[in-house]
Amino acid sequence: MNATSPWLKIEIEGDTSVLHLSGVWRLSNLAAISVALQSSGLSAGKRYLIDGGDLQELDTAAGFTLYRHLAKIECSTSMVSLRGFDQRHEQLLELVREHMDSPSVAPHALHRGTVQRIGAATLNIWLLLQGHVSFVGTVVLELLALIRRPKLFRVKETISQFEVICIDAIPIAALVSALIGVVMAYLLGIQALQYGANIFVVDGVGLAVCRELSPLLVAVVVAGRSGAAFTAQIGTMKVQEEIDAISTLGLSPIQVLVIPRLVAIMVALPLLVFVGDVAGLTGGMLISAMQLDISPLTFLDRLHSVLPMSAPVVGLVKAPVFAAFIAIIACRMGMQVARDARSVGLNTTSTVVQSIVWVILLDALFAIVFQHLDI
Amino acid sequence: MAQRAANRIDSKTETVLVADAIVTRFGTAVIHDGVSFSVRRGEVVALIGGSGSGKSVLVRELIGLLRPSAGRVQLLDTDVWNCSQDELNVLRRRFGMLFQDGALFSSLTVAENVAVPFQEHTNLPTELIPSLVGFKLSLVGLPADVGAKMPAELSGGMRKRVALARALALEPEILFLDEPTSGLDPISARAFDNLVRVLSDALGLTVIIVTHDLDTLLSIIDRVIVLDDGKVIANDQVKAVMKLDVPWIKDYFSARAPVVRSDD
Repeated sequence: MNATSPWLKIEIEGDTSVLHLSGVWRLSNLAAISVALQSSGLSAGKRYLIDGGDLQELDTAAGFTLYRHLAKIECSTSMVSLRGFDQRHEQLLELVREHMDSPSVAPHALHRGTVQRIGAATLNIWLLLQGHVSFVGTVVLELLALIRRPKLFRVKETISQFEVICIDAIPIAALVSALIGVVMAYLLGIQALQYGANIFVVDGVGLAVCRELSPLLVAVVVAGRSGAAFTAQIGTMKVQEEIDAISTLGLSPIQVLVIPRLVAIMVALPLLVFVGDVAGLTGGMLISAMQLDISPLTFLDRLHSVLPMSAPVVGLVKAPVFAAFIAIIACRMGMQVARDARSVGLNTTSTVVQSIVWVILLDALFAIVFQHLDI
Repeated sequence: MAQRAANRIDSKTETVLVADAIVTRFGTAVIHDGVSFSVRRGEVVALIGGSGSGKSVLVRELIGLLRPSAGRVQLLDTDVWNCSQDELNVLRRRFGMLFQDGALFSSLTVAENVAVPFQEHTNLPTELIPSLVGFKLSLVGLPADVGAKMPAELSGGMRKRVALARALALEPEILFLDEPTSGLDPISARAFDNLVRVLSDALGLTVIIVTHDLDTLLSIIDRVIVLDDGKVIANDQVKAVMKLDVPWIKDYFSARAPVVRSDD
């Protein structure tokens, strides 16, 4: 029955067991102390006298572990008395005893089952879409209010947003489109060369770049660049309570933050798409001259005769619609940020993913609609 | 017994923190112009000063987060700004810091936040950690069901308590508190003060508190260090400092709202 270890020793004095504690009872030794307690052979239902005369140091974690072990063997605190403790150690044990009833709290969140997670995710998407629709409603109402009082429109803010969204993005939009023009001309050229139909590369590159690739790629670039920026900017303002401050000053956050961005991006994207068209065709022209023996003049002449005006126009018509979706999603996700740092990151990621998915989805819808309209 | 009593007196006089001629400059602005003081083990010391007097900056310099422009910091026998990264990491396990807004990890639940120090720095049996987390939460006066919540779902006062529980997890020898009672209601604030004092007495915990709270100052503080104009202008027991004839200190201690009585 008598167990001895560097930490504790049990002795029988008359009808009570005396538990002598010794050494440094601190967190750093707690693993060993815990083992010592387990193997001490303390048994239930007895009265214990705890002697702290030889105790050097004690902290709350060690005190807690001691009481927890006693509680485990159904030895309630009323059956335990203390002796010989240093006054501050006794005070500490008193503090620990007051908090002994605290239930344990697992540091890991409950793990949900697959079905539950699918259900929750589906519900989340539904709520997200519902929220987007209601946000569109709010923005439209604010726009109508602006039309009635056009003085409230923030020209300066809109122009500075336009500069960031459009002017600063020209190099990257041009680069991406030029490269895709190069790729298109190259791939088509390899096929066309086999039939000696080099000149048809111009038809293919012109149509693909102006109608589909430039609008799509530029929209994706802008979604990643400006969409993410909108969410991060508005989200950080939300965290700093700046949006509440705007409301409190009697201004509308939608008019101050959302509408300038919406207008700026809707103007900017068609212009960037036009830049993309020119760059893409230039890329195609470059490859045609180098690989396919089509001189730039021939290229332009052929382009002029075969590319219908409708192709670039379709591209330019799609752009503002893409832009509106990107702006609405990005601004709403920014407004939805909760008051913590993690949420800004999560919502920014979500904005980029949602915008790109929506741009591609809309592009597909446009393709079907234009097909039916014979454009 | 006498031997231990003597030990305790020894431990009271052991110096655990020395700030020596700290100078801080941000560009041309001089924040600290030769700040020197020392703190003994087991003391509860308050650092006060007007807004912008560089109290929080000083604390960041003391714990090795921000390098002072000149001067030396000796924390638990380690020269904070002149030691290896390893030494600094060992040192960091021996003190706790409570930041002004709690600084909880926003991607972790409350319980995970409190469990981080246990998981990273101890080899405790895994079955012990949840109960220790529950105990620490209870120690700072939080109900157990808070454990499953995310920090964003908590009120400011609750975040502060969770942060204290995390700071106390590794049973630090020194605790730095940056405005621990700001944003708490008076009842919670006094409970927080008492908790700090009890822990300090029981654990021999040294506490350095940056505070504006006069009630904290008058109830639990052993010694107060007053910063003004980049210098320590007073460093003594609260009662002695209150009597000093320095304009800022006089204003500070008389800056209480007049009590309005309606029972005339």
